[in-house]
Amino acid sequence: MSEKKDEVVFYSSNRRTQQRDERISIEKAGTVILPEEQTSKVLTPASHENDNDVCIDVNDVSVMFNLSKNREDGVKEYFINMVKGKVGYNEFWALRNISFQVKRGDSLALIGRNGSGKSTLLKAVAGIIRPARGSIKVNGSVAPLIEISGGFDRSLSARENIFLSGAMHGHTKKYMKTRFDEIVEFAEIEKFLDVPLKSYSSGMVSRLGFAIATCVNADIIIADEVLAVGDARFRMKCEKRISQMLGVGTTFLFVSHSTASVKKMCKKAVWLEKGKIKEIGPAANVCDNYTAYIKSMPATAVKAPDRRTAID
Amino acid sequence: MKKGIYEFMNYFPFLKEVVKRDFKRKYYKSVLGVAWSMLSPLLMMIVITIVFSTLFKKTVPHYPAYWFCGNLLFSFVFEGSTAAMSCIIHNASLINKMKIPNYFFCISTVTQSFITMLFSIVPYLAVCLVIQVPITFYMLLIPIPMILAYLFTLGLGMLLCAYGTFLRDLSYLYQVLRRVWLYITPIFYPIEIIPEQFRFIWDLNPVYVYINIFRQFALYGTMPSEKVLIIGTVYAVLMLALGAVTFKEKEDRFFLYI
Repeated sequence: MSEKKDEVVFYSSNRRTQQRDERISIEKAGTVILPEEQTSKVLTPASHENDNDVCIDVNDVSVMFNLSKNREDGVKEYFINMVKGKVGYNEFWALRNISFQVKRGDSLALIGRNGSGKSTLLKAVAGIIRPARGSIKVNGSVAPLIEISGGFDRSLSARENIFLSGAMHGHTKKYMKTRFDEIVEFAEIEKFLDVPLKSYSSGMVSRLGFAIATCVNADIIIADEVLAVGDARFRMKCEKRISQMLGVGTTFLFVSHSTASVKKMCKKAVWLEKGKIKEIGPAANVCDNYTAYIKSMPATAVKAPDRRTAID
Repeated sequence: MKKGIYEFMNYFPFLKEVVKRDFKRKYYKSVLGVAWSMLSPLLMMIVITIVFSTLFKKTVPHYPAYWFCGNLLFSFVFEGSTAAMSCIIHNASLINKMKIPNYFFCISTVTQSFITMLFSIVPYLAVCLVIQVPITFYMLLIPIPMILAYLFTLGLGMLLCAYGTFLRDLSYLYQVLRRVWLYITPIFYPIEIIPEQFRFIWDLNPVYVYINIFRQFALYGTMPSEKVLIIGTVYAVLMLALGAVTFKEKEDRFFLYI
């Protein structure tokens, strides 16, 4: 364990151009999701334990949800389920047997239709949900950006939210102060710093979210639909930022519906379909196949909704 | 273990921020704000004193302070554990988006109640001055029962949270239990009204153990017996261990229920 910690410190102090004091590096080392504990209950020994270049190693991961129908939310249901020995479980496998790796400084996009498991996979990599089977190894500190406004408190001002959000990423107030101006400048919210977030427009909130996630010097950024928000100018700014960060070795994993930006930003892409990997490979190929697939889908699938069912 | 400490230190700033946030939220837009933490037990004390003081005047000297001590710890234990029970559900939106160790939400809610308790020490001292409770050096020792009660409440809160996240009916049941517990704890009545042969049952009540220690320090200016202090510590450690182990075991499945 201590070996791993040292590795991370070593990386972050060598790789970055930015100045960081030793304390921060040590703190960041603490955020490493050490795989031992998370995965000790499940199978699979890691195949790439010593491969330093692999940043995210997803190994045969399956995620299962209980559908809400049979949740034991009440005493009655609880006892019924207990008597039945939990017969009534309605299992839903959101992801099945997913394996892929992301190297340091790489960017990987997840594409696929709604409900194909993209966000679930992101959450699993971010450590928010735990896979029922398989293992996920993440080597480095993670800044998750799941739903852009994640973790903001809308009754607090932007200033307070920056510190709150930073704290959720595991950063001290002192460290966030050093990053504060950069965040505010990037999000372009100088004038509204002390206004509660509930008076912000959705674009402003998402700019702030993106700014915080990219300014805290995480090793890995996990983002859900970042490029779908903001106007064209801000999107360009984001893309520029991402390519800058890729240049200094930050790893990106993100979900996008825009194949154009995926092609532009990513080397690799994973196409998910109904919780399984349909294709994995160079971004351009996967995106083209995906687009062709979508176009080839029967047009009847897009028929106008029936009026009556719409009201129901 | 080492990893756990790293994790704790790493998310400590989060704990600070979130306690601060909850505190701001609690008194959001109220005119008196934080003053309510001091005012509400004081008003309650006046009501209770009017109702019960004639009944217990002879057996309980300094009745308002007597009630105040009991209420201080009792409401901390139950407010803290009730809040901790639903902390995962209340913070679902955060837990779904950020990787934050779940137990931090329990710590933050219990700490929140603890701060409220700290605030009500101020009116307690004021009451002591007004009704002329002798001020002694033993009063400086009141952090001991408060910290023991904190550990106990944290353990209880984590235990309840581990089950309450799955079974939401538990919080309604717990409200009933709280009422029952209020009556079996000598808060507004003296322990002396319990027949001697049953008193050992009352002495086992963990909340009363802490109240008893607190009263000895803060009201009577005496040193509680070693036995009581040991029982109090054992309760705190056991409850914390039980809560932490249960929580750890259950938390992997929380995300399925929020």
